[in-house]
Amino acid sequence: MSGASNGLLGLFDRLCEPFNGSNTIGNSRAFWVGAVVALAITFAYPLFVSAYQAGNTALFLLYGLLALSLSVVWGYAGVLSFGQVVFFGFAGYTFGIVSINLGSTLGTTLAIPVAVLVATAVAGLLGYFMFYGNVSGVFVAIITLVVTLVMQTFMAQTAGDKWTIGEVPLGGFNGMPGIPNLAVGVEGAALTFSGDTFYWLVLSTLVVVYFGLRVLVNSRFGYAMVAVREDEDRVEMLGYDIRKVKLGVFTLGGALAGFSGVLYASWGNYIDPSVYSLTFATMPVVWVTVGGRESLLGGLVATVAIEWFRQQLSVTGSEWAMVVVGVLLLTIVLALPEGIIPYVHRKAVGVLQQRGFVDPDRPATATEEAAE
Amino acid sequence: MVNATNLFFQFLDSFAFIVLSAIGLAIIFGMMDVINLAHGEFIMIGAYGTTLAANAGVPLPVAIAVGVAVTMVVGLILERTIIKRLYERPLDSMVATWAVGLALTQGARIVFGNSLSSIGVPFGAITYGEFSYSMYRVLLSGVAALVLVGAYLVFTRTEFGVRARATIQDADTAQAMGVETDRMYTATFVIGSALAGLTGALYAPTMAIVPGMGSSFLVEAFVAVVTGGSSVLLGTTLAGGTLGSINALFSNLYGTFMGKIALLFVAVLILRFLPGGLSGVVTDLRERMERESV
Amino acid sequence: MSSKSGTDPNVRRTPAVSATGSDTSRLLQTEGLTKQFGGLTAIDGVDFGVDEGELRCLIGPNGAGKSTLLKLITGRLKATSGRIYYDSVDVTDLDPHERVREGIGMKFQVPSVFESLTAFENVRLPVQRVVDGDPTERIVETLERVGLAPERDMLASDLSHGQQQRLEIGMAAALSPDLLMLDEPVAGLSIEERAEVADLVTRLNDRGITFVVIEHDIDFVDRIADEVTVLHQGDIFREGPIEEIRADDEVRRIYLGGQ
Repeated sequence: MSGASNGLLGLFDRLCEPFNGSNTIGNSRAFWVGAVVALAITFAYPLFVSAYQAGNTALFLLYGLLALSLSVVWGYAGVLSFGQVVFFGFAGYTFGIVSINLGSTLGTTLAIPVAVLVATAVAGLLGYFMFYGNVSGVFVAIITLVVTLVMQTFMAQTAGDKWTIGEVPLGGFNGMPGIPNLAVGVEGAALTFSGDTFYWLVLSTLVVVYFGLRVLVNSRFGYAMVAVREDEDRVEMLGYDIRKVKLGVFTLGGALAGFSGVLYASWGNYIDPSVYSLTFATMPVVWVTVGGRESLLGGLVATVAIEWFRQQLSVTGSEWAMVVVGVLLLTIVLALPEGIIPYVHRKAVGVLQQRGFVDPDRPATATEEAAE
Repeated sequence: MVNATNLFFQFLDSFAFIVLSAIGLAIIFGMMDVINLAHGEFIMIGAYGTTLAANAGVPLPVAIAVGVAVTMVVGLILERTIIKRLYERPLDSMVATWAVGLALTQGARIVFGNSLSSIGVPFGAITYGEFSYSMYRVLLSGVAALVLVGAYLVFTRTEFGVRARATIQDADTAQAMGVETDRMYTATFVIGSALAGLTGALYAPTMAIVPGMGSSFLVEAFVAVVTGGSSVLLGTTLAGGTLGSINALFSNLYGTFMGKIALLFVAVLILRFLPGGLSGVVTDLRERMERESV
Repeated sequence: MSSKSGTDPNVRRTPAVSATGSDTSRLLQTEGLTKQFGGLTAIDGVDFGVDEGELRCLIGPNGAGKSTLLKLITGRLKATSGRIYYDSVDVTDLDPHERVREGIGMKFQVPSVFESLTAFENVRLPVQRVVDGDPTERIVETLERVGLAPERDMLASDLSHGQQQRLEIGMAAALSPDLLMLDEPVAGLSIEERAEVADLVTRLNDRGITFVVIEHDIDFVDRIADEVTVLHQGDIFREGPIEEIRADDEVRRIYLGGQ
């Protein structure tokens, strides 16, 4: 393609510009054209499949939001957290408690920000404790893992009447049923989301968050995050308060994971302590590692692919799902640490450059080259 | 009313559980800076090995040895194939060992089903007044103490121990002096695995033998490692003692769950206010005494 | 700005006993600064002072405590006792990043640049903190000043050792610090590269940045330094102009064989 910025194409390029930067892959016109096509397809998807299938895919998409929360915390700021599911669970349970107690559409609407706020506060508190207590690296991972384990044990034994908040029992192992669908508005003039509309809501949220994160990651704060990941001591001596940076990212990750939890609770109208299980706590790590740690898109694509695959396996009654997942994770860590999507992107860019579809003057992003 | 004997036995039980949960993990982490997230699964393998052997008629002590041996083999394979590629990448080794753990847990479920029939607890119970306590679990505290003393002797009195400590201090110098550092790391990892297997083997008679059983030990193991500080054996012992007594006291008064909460709360306090961990406090005291005597 | 300090070079300063009322009008002044590691005293009641505009070199045998002193001043280590005054402000209790914002910069002993970022992106980190709006111009300016403009899109890990040292100095200088502390800036560099770094440092000093440089290369020190402080066993052994120090027999003796 010629470099001429004429009319429509030029406008298109300018629209995409704020989302480009060296901290994300896919900055070329080819990428964005592909992205628009993919967006069109994913938005049109429910028109071609049953409501059930759309709802099913929506689950994978909301997991994608959870993946993004880890991607930004670990991939970009270098903080390995096994605890994203803690914020996910806190928000899901809070959403259930508040919406069932208030028992109205307005109540459900209010429950959304309350739940996300709770998740954010928990993340902020945990983050403050860790980062301002000089806990780093491996110990952060351990502490977040322990918190997850503790939450699992705790929630599992909340059966019985004394574990009730308002009129809502926490339910222990049996979980909390009867969580309403997401709704925005007041009784009579409200928008309720289920089936196709739920799918579109999740997809829109995902798209907005993805674009927002693209901007963040390529901004000053984004560079600060990346520098903290690369060399904490150096970036501190450049005048950055690394504790603040880590706390900020971690809290943001908590908010994103929390929103994902709200979506989850209203998706199945149910939540139980299995969200705190070790298996589920690991999945974000799997999604992000396999997809590409330092790539927002990588995490998203891997989430949908892996979850779809796991579902296929369990449908056929196979018990091998987690074994395959374990082996996949191990293989990627050992053989392809950058992750699949960045690898594929690198190769694709190479091919496209040879064929002249991508401007060779634009240097490959630092993270891509570093992976070589 | 707190019964003193009961409390004492509970302390011994907690101490044993914490020390035995942590020791394998702590040695590997202290020596190699590797967090083995398959630690829980190693414990599980030790338990499975022991249970299968015992159920096949082998006497318990031998069955325990079998459990330990199997775990050592698994540890050896893991170290030689995977861990050795990830020495300088602590976060990646966490993810990799976690992946292995996932595969092992599910693998155990596929091969052995959802549970194995458990072995009975030997030695019965001690009764005192209206209380009774499992003799076996109390005796495990003795085993825990022996393990700690044994590890101490190996690492300070044997040739191997000296070489191992030289490798931790400064691997390059140690290598220049003829120490085969690779062998050291492998040996350390195998020892850590053996100890994890021992824990599983020892607790097998007291627990349900299910594929996910390893995770019951994880909280205590991680908490002990994190609060112990840089001196591995001292830290594990102190963690066992301190956290064990808190756990015993609160369990006795308010139930097992509150006991665990109290343990975690104290761990949080230690993390917050003692940057060097529990062993750090002792090391500081020792140094201060040295300084004063100069 | 004159590169000679305002103090009388003919006065040989002996280590002062720590006292109140030390001269805090100097840009940097430590007072009775002490650092103990367990039973070992690495820095022993040091009164180290530097005037604005100086180019001071800090030398001494291995283990004398030079890096430790630097780490105490920049805040990477917390002092056991004593105080540090910077620009008349008591910075002893400030965190490292706060001291950086006060105007102290440092270059690490082992070149620490962000390996997986390009040179341009490396310089971006300090610049974006001090420049509102588009930082590109200032980044390019900084790269030109350290002679790395053509390498702007190269990964830092692909740069030569000397280029990395210069990049790191450039990054520290981009913050417009008043005091820049360099820990062995020419270790492992060729003769030409050393000359380049010496040149860069003197140029930056002429533009107003005060320097404290730890170095072993006595020719390098000779070339750039106004005054030299000799550290030995955690305390100031001698201070004075480089010619005096070079001629001093006792200094030579503490270097186990002399230089």
